[in-house]
Amino acid sequence: MSSVLAKRALVPLSIFVLALLIGYTRANGPRARFARAIAALSDSERTALGAGPGIAICNAIWALGSEDAVRKMLRSELDRLPETEGSARARVFIRFGIIDSNPDGQAAVFFQACAADASLCDRARLITAAERETHARLVEPGQHLPLYLLSGHPQVP
Amino acid sequence: MTRAEPFDLVWPCVAAAVLGYLLGSVALPMLASLGGGSSNTPLARVGFVLREDPHAPSPEWSVLDADLQAVRAPLASPQRDVFDLVVAVRGMDNGGSSDWSRAEQICRTLAWPRCDRDALAQLKELSRP
Repeated sequence: MSSVLAKRALVPLSIFVLALLIGYTRANGPRARFARAIAALSDSERTALGAGPGIAICNAIWALGSEDAVRKMLRSELDRLPETEGSARARVFIRFGIIDSNPDGQAAVFFQACAADASLCDRARLITAAERETHARLVEPGQHLPLYLLSGHPQVP
Repeated sequence: MTRAEPFDLVWPCVAAAVLGYLLGSVALPMLASLGGGSSNTPLARVGFVLREDPHAPSPEWSVLDADLQAVRAPLASPQRDVFDLVVAVRGMDNGGSSDWSRAEQICRTLAWPRCDRDALAQLKELSRP
């Protein structure tokens, strides 16, 4: 009697386990590959992934957006990014400086870029970083290096 | 042996198969994602794909749909439209094939200065985080 019961339970139980494995493998296979790829990254890279979509949105606005769209995006980025994210904030300041048409405004924001990321206090590095941003911008304004970086602040007579 | 006996033997097997498949495909992945820590989230997976070479899509992109919706939902306009534009040019909901007409349509809705194919093609690379 008990052996019949055991047989009756064993077959459905085996089928249940098999179906569970098939279902899990089918649903989770690609996700598991994602999980493995993400797990292989360093801690800092893993943390940075979460910011990826936001950065992609900002990059897209910077590449093709109108001046108004870019200014709104940069302002909201400065509100969002904490002081500890020095290089990200510096990038925002550089973009601000590039689209600013006023040399005084340019000087102020490039100074802030230097304050946010000390490596950009070196003028050559600042120019390189700004050139990278101008190449990533496909519409005016912002496709050329600002006057402040090309020749320094204009002399006041 | 009665007529009901074969049915009595079959239905537990069918029920076990259905229940097992459903638990395996729905419940276990949910539990796994709950226990998987904060690094394997929809935001992280979308961020991971965005970092990848846009010209070499991977088969894993086919499971991104739910993740894209999860990332898109909390965004406000116009960021949501810009995200849709990035998704369209990167082909993230289409196995890596860019949807140029949808991208152009979104770009025009945003009233951006350039929405031509050449500019959108460059955006594919430039939007990489």
